[in-house]
Amino acid sequence: MSERTRVGISEYRVAPAPAHLVTYGLGSCLGITLYDESVAIGGLAHTLLPYPREGMDLTRPAKFVDAAIRLMLTDLLQLGCSQERLVAKMFGGANMFEGLQNPNREGIGQRNIRSARETLTELAIPLVAEDVGGNFGRTVEFDVANGGVLIRCVRDEQRERHF
Amino acid sequence: MTFRQLTEEHLDALREISNVGMGNAATALSQMVDETIDLRVPKVSLADISDVPDLMGGADMVVVGVTLQIRGDATGTVLLVFPEESALRLARRLLGRPQSAPALDEMGISTLKEVGNILASSYLGAMGSLLNLTLLPSIPLLAHDMAGAVIDYLLIELSESGNQALVIETEFHGRSPQERVISGHFFLMPDPASLEVLTGAIGAVQ
Repeated sequence: MSERTRVGISEYRVAPAPAHLVTYGLGSCLGITLYDESVAIGGLAHTLLPYPREGMDLTRPAKFVDAAIRLMLTDLLQLGCSQERLVAKMFGGANMFEGLQNPNREGIGQRNIRSARETLTELAIPLVAEDVGGNFGRTVEFDVANGGVLIRCVRDEQRERHF
Repeated sequence: MTFRQLTEEHLDALREISNVGMGNAATALSQMVDETIDLRVPKVSLADISDVPDLMGGADMVVVGVTLQIRGDATGTVLLVFPEESALRLARRLLGRPQSAPALDEMGISTLKEVGNILASSYLGAMGSLLNLTLLPSIPLLAHDMAGAVIDYLLIELSESGNQALVIETEFHGRSPQERVISGHFFLMPDPASLEVLTGAIGAVQ
């Protein structure tokens, strides 16, 4: 049994194989993995918001999609990953309470997803898999040994999915 | 203003409001099911909203959450969270027929939304009449999922206001002592500007 590391809300972790990085119960939050297969090192972030707005508390920068991706990238490069070889996956970004969001406005989950796409494009990191949106929560288990991600849901018919 | 700046007097007033509000809710629920339901409030406290999944037993624990928006002189959000077991037991008791986990049927969902509506209306009614404010709940919305997923939109809403929420632990007791207690947590999260409205109103009546 390899080490399981829990990633809390507004946190990220990077680790070499054989780590398992796990984050529980993503709703409109977005989980993002970055992985370099050649060295088997990866990172997982549990982000809350697309980017900071004026007056927001900036003490936990990994709260923001954009900042979390960049922080993870810096740490992964220090551990010996190559930016050219990194690939990304993202999970979550749901709308848990249908009717809560103004239908004319993009929901927070959607904005998190869009922010991740923009940041990854800017950094030229390909997004190789995603399971986003819907109205159900997701738990992410990232196996750094092979880059695989297991998604667990309690509400969806398909309770476990591999990415 | 954030919850961190609340004084002990403010908290005492909020505790008093909580007891009156839940007393009114107990009366309303008892009338609804024609059976005495006692609502107790063992604890009123402030919590960092990111600790809330741990209050529920962990981010991956399955819960039922009912949320309403507060409208009127102050705005904000109310969230009522039940562990799945308690939610199913409450629905069963109110409907007088079984609800089988993991699914709540349509009647079960409507019933728990109505419980959320009664609790929020009673609470906001008590708060409004004690503080001379008009506070109205919106229609209730329900999510049945992992605790982390159910509450993360609140973290998002609160990320501008210091991440703190008023937590009112609530226990539903039936008349029979053999019945197990149904427990829930009631969270009140005024918007930052509205927290000042509330503390100002508390100051005005004290």
